[in-house]
Amino acid sequence: MEADWDEITRIVVPPGPHMLPTPASTIAFDDTQELLWIGNDHGRVTAFYGPELQRYVSVKAHISEGPVRQFLFHERGVLSIAANSVHLVSRKGLTQWHLNHPSMIDLRCMSFTSNPGQILLAGCQSAMLVVDIDKGQVVSQLPSEASYTMMKRSRYICAATEAGAVNVLDTTDFTILKSWKAHGTAINDMDVRGDFLVTCGFSVRHLGASIVDPLANVYDLKSFSSLPPLPFHAGAAYVRLHPKLQTTSFVASQTGQMQVVDLMNPNSVDLRQANVQYMLGIEVSPSGDALAIIDAEASIHLWGSRSKVQFSKRRQETEFGEPQADRAPFVDWKEMPLNTIGMPYYHERLLSAWPSHMVFDVGAPPPQIDPNLVLQPAEMGFYAPNSKQSLRYQVEDTRASQLGSSMAAPKFLSEKAKAIPNN
Amino acid sequence: LNSEFGREVENARLFRLMAKLGFINERPEYEHDRQWSENGERYYLKLFRDYIFHQVDAQENPVVDLGHVLSCLNKLDAGSDERLTLVSRDNQSCFVVSYRELKKGMESAFQELSKNARRS
Repeated sequence: MEADWDEITRIVVPPGPHMLPTPASTIAFDDTQELLWIGNDHGRVTAFYGPELQRYVSVKAHISEGPVRQFLFHERGVLSIAANSVHLVSRKGLTQWHLNHPSMIDLRCMSFTSNPGQILLAGCQSAMLVVDIDKGQVVSQLPSEASYTMMKRSRYICAATEAGAVNVLDTTDFTILKSWKAHGTAINDMDVRGDFLVTCGFSVRHLGASIVDPLANVYDLKSFSSLPPLPFHAGAAYVRLHPKLQTTSFVASQTGQMQVVDLMNPNSVDLRQANVQYMLGIEVSPSGDALAIIDAEASIHLWGSRSKVQFSKRRQETEFGEPQADRAPFVDWKEMPLNTIGMPYYHERLLSAWPSHMVFDVGAPPPQIDPNLVLQPAEMGFYAPNSKQSLRYQVEDTRASQLGSSMAAPKFLSEKAKAIPNN
Repeated sequence: LNSEFGREVENARLFRLMAKLGFINERPEYEHDRQWSENGERYYLKLFRDYIFHQVDAQENPVVDLGHVLSCLNKLDAGSDERLTLVSRDNQSCFVVSYRELKKGMESAFQELSKNARRS
């Protein structure tokens, strides 16, 4: 962490309607635009733009399923999961698809696989699912060896189990290549990048209370061996590996102490203190130039260097709604023709174009009012309970009933002959 | 006579557009359709109707501005690239949409309606 890093911005996580703000359940930096995505406990997904964290789009992605668990970024948009569904929303906030499946009982985590168009979903449930991103459909379903709470992918998929172990899964067939018992009771956080896996977790000390381990475990995925752990006396609760600097990691405690440490040389440490009561997570941007902290008071702290903070590596333009610069000219109801306001330039078929095969008869007599209705006079018209058996506003062919009686057109003899066998 | 015609020439086009909007929006059969719900693919079409017709001023008085309606409709009809921000009624959700995307969404919703329409 460079010397001029500091807290740049702090915002409050948006609440659901009529609800107190709750801490973010998950956050992630977009990989292509300057956006920070925040999921809350009510299934809402909100994006914030730039270092000022200006509010951008906000969508209710999951309805009554509890917290948003994780984000993944795809060129079509942002994938989010909650307990029973997966949702893909474009970066402008339009829903692309929403997928529910009976085997989605308690989804917790997901990961890209070796196929860039597919993701693997897992959770505290007996099945893992593979979903096609373009179609928004479940491709296959396979049994889960453990209850997974977190997944991170580099050359393998590293999956943290509920019991404090890490399983290393193949990215193609999802078989377990290696399993480490990393922590005593649970894994609180982990990160994978290149060949390194770092985990933070809890162990049970005497009397059954779980406390944060003062060591972050480090593993080498090339040789499947463990490396010397990172000591962190305040309790290593959260960890992120630097996206550009191979062996640099950010480790943080629940009290807000953060240190930047080299995995290969754990003794050289740069220590910072975030101004939080209780920290619930950290996230590093893909550029490595920004760090976001979730705290228990439902705010997000953005850290970085004030002068050159940038989130994404590939900077893509974020599209905003255009301000209504010129108000439309006033149009009078009576006199002014409606073409006072001209059409913008266009070269495609207009939306108002009406399909030519749709031709409608007009001038049919109005439907009869049911004579059995007992009508009560009302302030306007009459009212009565609806006794009709048909659908509301079901179309009636009022011509048919009249044709037979008086208005039947005279028929030629040949037509009469044809009509008889039909009747 | 020509000038009289010129005044009214847009009316039919606008009326057809309004008819399409009327057919699509707020159908009770959609009420429990996931596509139209808050996390559905067509939620923004619902919000666009509000954008056109339910403008208010700072005191929350309704604004009845035919000019706004006409310019929105014209841009929708042509599918212009101009973007607008749609906000849900509870002020919690917002979307950034171009008229082009709105037009595409409307068109497909209308297609679906007319496909399902039982022709007698």
